[in-house]
Amino acid sequence: MPGLVVQPTVYYIIAVTAVISLFIMILYSQLRKFNPLDEPKGLVLLAIMAYRFVDDMLRQETNEKITEKLGPYIAVTLLYIFLSNISGLFGIEPPTANYSVTLTLAAITVILIEVNAIKFNGVKNYVKSLFEPLAPFVFINIISKFSTLMSLSLRLFGNIVSGSILMTIIYLLFAKVSSVIPFIGAFNFVGVAIAPFLHFYFDLFAGLIQTYIFTTLTVTFIGKELPDK
Amino acid sequence: MEKGLIAIAAALAVMTGATTGIGEAKVAQHAVEAIGKNPDAADKIRSMAIIGAALSETCAIYGMLVSFLIIFVLGAN
Repeated sequence: MPGLVVQPTVYYIIAVTAVISLFIMILYSQLRKFNPLDEPKGLVLLAIMAYRFVDDMLRQETNEKITEKLGPYIAVTLLYIFLSNISGLFGIEPPTANYSVTLTLAAITVILIEVNAIKFNGVKNYVKSLFEPLAPFVFINIISKFSTLMSLSLRLFGNIVSGSILMTIIYLLFAKVSSVIPFIGAFNFVGVAIAPFLHFYFDLFAGLIQTYIFTTLTVTFIGKELPDK
Repeated sequence: MEKGLIAIAAALAVMTGATTGIGEAKVAQHAVEAIGKNPDAADKIRSMAIIGAALSETCAIYGMLVSFLIIFVLGAN
């Protein structure tokens, strides 16, 4: 189609999704073969630990009714955001460095919050809560729903995009530094020596922390709206 | 002339990090104090401290985003 430009991020999103699908298929076949009486190891152990982590998080913050339904979504979101964040290590631009992706993820969270609030509190109480503490506060309450969307999406986006931009700048700087040395300067050896530590911080550490923050906030916000927590 | 002003604007935008640093240091300080008072709750305190630090870090991230926007949008042409 003329005038239609496909951003490269689209291919990266498809790649991350394919990796996750492959991982889940391998995990499924391993779980089918697994004997519950054996000691778990490898992928099965990892899956059990991840399940426990998500289950504990949900049980602390939300009530029993929603834990079973929300668990799979939270687990896959964890996997997706983490793989997206660390994909800078594999030389591709992280999908979460695209605002559309993080906005979509945050929109899913906000829709989940509102739908669960309506479902568990009833329409009447939900509309009533909009007008609290006074009737004119309805505008502020509605704006605050959108502020959740903005802050959740911008937090993830800002962290990842600042990491990837800083890494690009650092590689350019190191290329300039190493080009001072004649003959072998074309090879960016200063960057090779120093960049791994920065990759460790900006990709692995920040990526892991932001994954944790995003899912924890999702669960906390959903749990906050529920009644008898 | 104009490029210099853009650089100053970007630097001012990223100055949100100054106060965010103090805030995050306070989070770490109180987390350490809390663990000193109650070592059994270290696991819970650690996760709460990480969440608090990351939430207050958002301010600095917004400033950084604004400065990136200033550099790459205003500085590009």
